[in-house]
Amino acid sequence: MMKSQSEYKLKSPPDDSISSVKFGPNTNQFLLVSSWDSYVRLYDVSSNSLRHKYAHDNAVLDCCFTDAVHSYSGGLDHTLKSFDFNTTTETIIGTHTNAIKCVEYCSELNCILTGSWDQHVKIWDPRSSGASGSYNQSEKIYSMNTCGEKLLVATAGRKVFVWDIRNMAYALQKRETSLKYQTRAIRAFPNKLGFVLSSIEGRVAVEYLDTNPDVQKKKYAFKCHRLKEDGLEKIFPVNAISFHPIHNTFSTGGSDGYVNIWDGFNKKRLCQFHQYHTSVTSLSFSHNGSVLAIGCSYFLEEDNPPHPLPEDAIYIRSVTDQESKPKYTSS
Amino acid sequence: MGRKKKKQSKPWCWYCNREFDDEKILIQHQKAKHFKCHICHKKLYTGPGLSIHCMQVHKETIDKVPNSLPNRSNVDIEIYGMEGIPAADLKEHERQKQNSKGESSDEDEPASKRPKPEGLLGNAPPGIPVAMPQMNQMMPQMISHGMPPGMHHMMHTMGHMGGPPFMHHPGMPHMMPPHMMMQGQPGPPKPLFPSAVPSSSPGAAIVGADFKPISSGATISAPPTTNTPGGNVDLSKINTIAATGASSKILHPIEDVSLEEIRARHPKYSKGSWQKNDERGSSSSSAHASELSIAVSAAQQAAVANQQQVAAIQAKAQEAQHQHMAMMGRMAAAASAAHAFPVRVSAGHPLTVVAGAPVMAGPSMGMLRGPLIGGPLMRPPHLGMPPGMIQMPPGMMYGHPMFPAGPMIMQPRFR
Repeated sequence: MMKSQSEYKLKSPPDDSISSVKFGPNTNQFLLVSSWDSYVRLYDVSSNSLRHKYAHDNAVLDCCFTDAVHSYSGGLDHTLKSFDFNTTTETIIGTHTNAIKCVEYCSELNCILTGSWDQHVKIWDPRSSGASGSYNQSEKIYSMNTCGEKLLVATAGRKVFVWDIRNMAYALQKRETSLKYQTRAIRAFPNKLGFVLSSIEGRVAVEYLDTNPDVQKKKYAFKCHRLKEDGLEKIFPVNAISFHPIHNTFSTGGSDGYVNIWDGFNKKRLCQFHQYHTSVTSLSFSHNGSVLAIGCSYFLEEDNPPHPLPEDAIYIRSVTDQESKPKYTSS
Repeated sequence: MGRKKKKQSKPWCWYCNREFDDEKILIQHQKAKHFKCHICHKKLYTGPGLSIHCMQVHKETIDKVPNSLPNRSNVDIEIYGMEGIPAADLKEHERQKQNSKGESSDEDEPASKRPKPEGLLGNAPPGIPVAMPQMNQMMPQMISHGMPPGMHHMMHTMGHMGGPPFMHHPGMPHMMPPHMMMQGQPGPPKPLFPSAVPSSSPGAAIVGADFKPISSGATISAPPTTNTPGGNVDLSKINTIAATGASSKILHPIEDVSLEEIRARHPKYSKGSWQKNDERGSSSSSAHASELSIAVSAAQQAAVANQQQVAAIQAKAQEAQHQHMAMMGRMAAAASAAHAFPVRVSAGHPLTVVAGAPVMAGPSMGMLRGPLIGGPLMRPPHLGMPPGMIQMPPGMMYGHPMFPAGPMIMQPRFR
């Protein structure tokens, strides 16, 4: 398979679809990968080797690092687990009453946040056992991201909640998404001004947290991840968003197998990578944005899945400033 | 339905005040007359586009748009067809037309057609009124950058539909017939971009959705249901995904739940069968593990004492692995006791975990280390070429580094 030389495939990939790839907090080296094969794996991408893996009782839907050696993960087994890669010990932290779809870490407040199909967000303090709080979101949670001390929750029914993690008594904002179709992913701008939201209908919205009407005016949505074949436009879900931590640009990955990098403030596409062999399900920029991990798995989007199913693969791609830096700043 | 166009004025060219029957012709005119490079005759898309082209390709500055009226020669205003025309000029043009034509053009609208848009106003997404004033400011950007193609189509629609009469009334947003944006137009735009039409509603509905009580969410789904008469799938069925039209297809199961939920229904992921089906070599290892855990529970203290040292000194030794495993089993068991959760850990997973690690993590990946020496994960770039492009297949959108204004983004809009 032809690949550009700035990119390679990880060895020993998961045996089932990849649900999440996450780079460690301060390194380009370690990548955490959760998979539907019930394992969470830690890869050393520098040496292209699998360092550790640990198991859940069922498919794992999300994972995160809290520091270089601790991970948290949850999935269809309803259970939040943590793993210490130094001592290779795992700990069951607690449970939801349905699958855990999202696991996020808030470094500002040193807490783990889980979002579940049981419609609740729970907050966990790594230093104590049990959840320190459980908060109803009234819909199944599909995607979550922390934004400083705020938490963005995207749910079924096209809702977005903005919470202040320090005071979860009430939601700061309740929004309806600006997209007409089901939300796939939500991610906050590293500069905390706003967030990007993607839907199953090949579309991405850029929104701002400031409720000032002048600021709100700037929000917009655009189409992407669509392919035209024989006059039929195929519209693909946009499964993954990852922000470049420095440039405030973001990558999106779709079921069309493409990865695009966008400059959300200047409304430009900075680049498009080659088409991957199957759906892009997860993306993660490393801490300095020089590397992008691309998780590719077929995800049953079509009525008639291809046979045999495409293999699950994780690509590690080095990203240049040319590909990820705004061409110029908005005037 | 087919007569929407008559009410609005004809498209006209901001640069030379000429009128056209069709905005497409207007755009052709602009490209040929006003946006053509006088050096290489390349047709650009906007005035700024032409200016940047000349600057970068020919190293020449252009201070006037060719063939333009004296007061309309600004190269910095981005105009594409009817989009991007300053509101004041739109208004002025409209007024002049009204004066010259009299009111007759206004009155021949059949009364029976009028109530429909107004009747639907109540259902309009609250965002639309707010969205309108911003149009003028957003359009030029989008036109040149072209990133959201959907918006572009929307504007086409508006140009044909509400067009100038509405555009120049930012203070009267309700003039905008929302159903016209929502629903495919029977006029020219419809066959061209049926799938693009919904894009207007997301874009417009954004604003004003903030702080909206969740319970009011139902109202916002009302406008799409006006699609039904237009032949689209009824959105009011909450559990299905609205179809986008005949010429496009969303590659997603029709049911409106997440892909993960659909996948989770697969028998493979029902808890009981999962464990049995999936464990690779679990039978042997679990037997091994249970033996071990018995042994460990007998000599637990000793194991704990040894654990740290051994692990630190020879983490990859077989001895250490067993003790790791033992410790994990014990910890998890403790945790399970505390939380009363079923825990599978002691049934062999720790073993696979630990046993797997050293094998995988060994130095066997040496071949990949080579290219990594120079820098993190990156080969030294070839001459003058970003590393990512080395084997980029031709025809990829990627390759216009000379145009910061982003022709590569414009491309999808015009295909």
